[in-house]
Amino acid sequence: MKLLIVDDEVEICDFLKSFFEERNYEVRSATSGEEALKAVEQFKPHVVLLDIKMPGVNGVQVLQEIKAKFPKLKVIMVTALETRDKIEECLRLGADNYITKPLSLEYLENDVREKIEAVTNSSSA
Amino acid sequence: MTSFEYQEALKNAAKSMVRVKNPRRLLKMIVRFINREVGLSHASILMYDQDKSQYIFVDSRGRHRIPIKLVKLDERNPLIRWFSEKGNHTGKDRLSKDYLTHEQVNLWLKNPAIMNNGHADELKEHILQLQDVMLTLKAAVCVPGYYKKELLGVLILGEKIAGGAFTPEELSFFQTLANDASMTIKNARYQEDLLAKNLLLEKKRTILQERLREIEQMRKKEQETYYQIVMSLAREVYAKDPYTSGHMEDVARLGVMTAEKLGFDLTGKKKDILVAALHLHDVGKIGIPDHVLMKPERLTDEEWKIMKEHPSRGAMILEPLTDFKRVAHIVRHHHERFDGKGYPDGLKGEEIPIEARIIAVVDAFHAIVSTRCYRRGRSVLIAFDELRANAGTQFDAEVVNAFIAAYQSSSMDQTEYKSHHDAH
Repeated sequence: MKLLIVDDEVEICDFLKSFFEERNYEVRSATSGEEALKAVEQFKPHVVLLDIKMPGVNGVQVLQEIKAKFPKLKVIMVTALETRDKIEECLRLGADNYITKPLSLEYLENDVREKIEAVTNSSSA
Repeated sequence: MTSFEYQEALKNAAKSMVRVKNPRRLLKMIVRFINREVGLSHASILMYDQDKSQYIFVDSRGRHRIPIKLVKLDERNPLIRWFSEKGNHTGKDRLSKDYLTHEQVNLWLKNPAIMNNGHADELKEHILQLQDVMLTLKAAVCVPGYYKKELLGVLILGEKIAGGAFTPEELSFFQTLANDASMTIKNARYQEDLLAKNLLLEKKRTILQERLREIEQMRKKEQETYYQIVMSLAREVYAKDPYTSGHMEDVARLGVMTAEKLGFDLTGKKKDILVAALHLHDVGKIGIPDHVLMKPERLTDEEWKIMKEHPSRGAMILEPLTDFKRVAHIVRHHHERFDGKGYPDGLKGEEIPIEARIIAVVDAFHAIVSTRCYRRGRSVLIAFDELRANAGTQFDAEVVNAFIAAYQSSSMDQTEYKSHHDAH
């Protein structure tokens, strides 16, 4: 159960990291788009939680690159942006879910677990 | 600091904070104060967001602070349910809801007396969920803030950095703060609501006023248009009679001069009303057939009856001009006689509007000196004689005198009428 958390706010990364670690996930975090793309290659997570508004390479660009290289990797957008256009754009580019902040931790965890189960089931089958 | 001094310090702090009216500032102060004075891993405040029906973190401080605007707790969250459900589950009612501490939750879970009642499964499940939420939020203490029975927010406090349990003084202090904060939030919201309502009312009033102004402008425009139509009708009446065409302005001028001689008050709208009545007094003739209007011979009784309708027809035409209600009234009565033998209503003396009495004289003079289809015009002097002869019966004598005086002193070329009748 490998999870990568991408958010330019360290505080958010730390909070979500400890939240998921307490629930027995293996977690890495990245605070920029560049870092995130590197971590995807090296850490090979099952699921990525991806913020959109980041300096440099933003979340939408990261999503595009991830989906180009690893189409099966699940990406959940986690962002404060909730315009219809943004949501549609991300879903069109292959995002597996779009969760807006503030979020319910329970919902987030359920969704992450579901996605990981889907990936591990299909790979073992 | 002794326990007593500490308690007093906390009380004083609470008192000074209560005076802060802005809830956001108060919440920030509370979080900062607790974090500094009590020394916690974090101090955070969850507040109810009315618009979205959810609880969000509005402030958080300390090493283990919760990123604000990241996490929300909806109304189904175990912690929120614990504090907001009142009297729904008899099992929970026996447990304290003033605040939750981590130790207490653990004690409940170990207490067979609590776990082994009729609601055990559900209650146990809820308490387990509570434990999980508190663990997630790194909460050692959760203190609810109510206004009446409404849960407005929850104070979420981490472990003491120095270690050890919270003292009863500290817990009661937190409760005081939570309740004061709730009161402040509620008051501020109440005021915001009032302000918003006032603003809305004000807006509505402005819109209404604008609308009224628009309507008033439209009405004015309509009136102007109507007035122009009526004026052109009046001109047409004059134009039908080739001998009088172009005399409309002369009639108006003579009428105003007479009014001035009489000392009639012409301030404000009064002059406009008089001039309009002078212009429009015969507009009712527009409805009279030409064969009657321009008949050279004597009119039959039937024709005369039609002819005598023109003052009331004129008044009817002018009725829609609400700004000139009086004009219609004057026009209706310009064929009344001073002795009450006129038409249409047989008014007499002062009952007849003064403007109508003026029109009667000016109109008669005009008729005498003008060449009409049925007879040639006569001289001004003959006209004066005739007016004088009928003063007191047909005409108001004062008006006749004023008219003659005005005419004689006017710069108007008196030969104008003469030349007119000489020409034909």
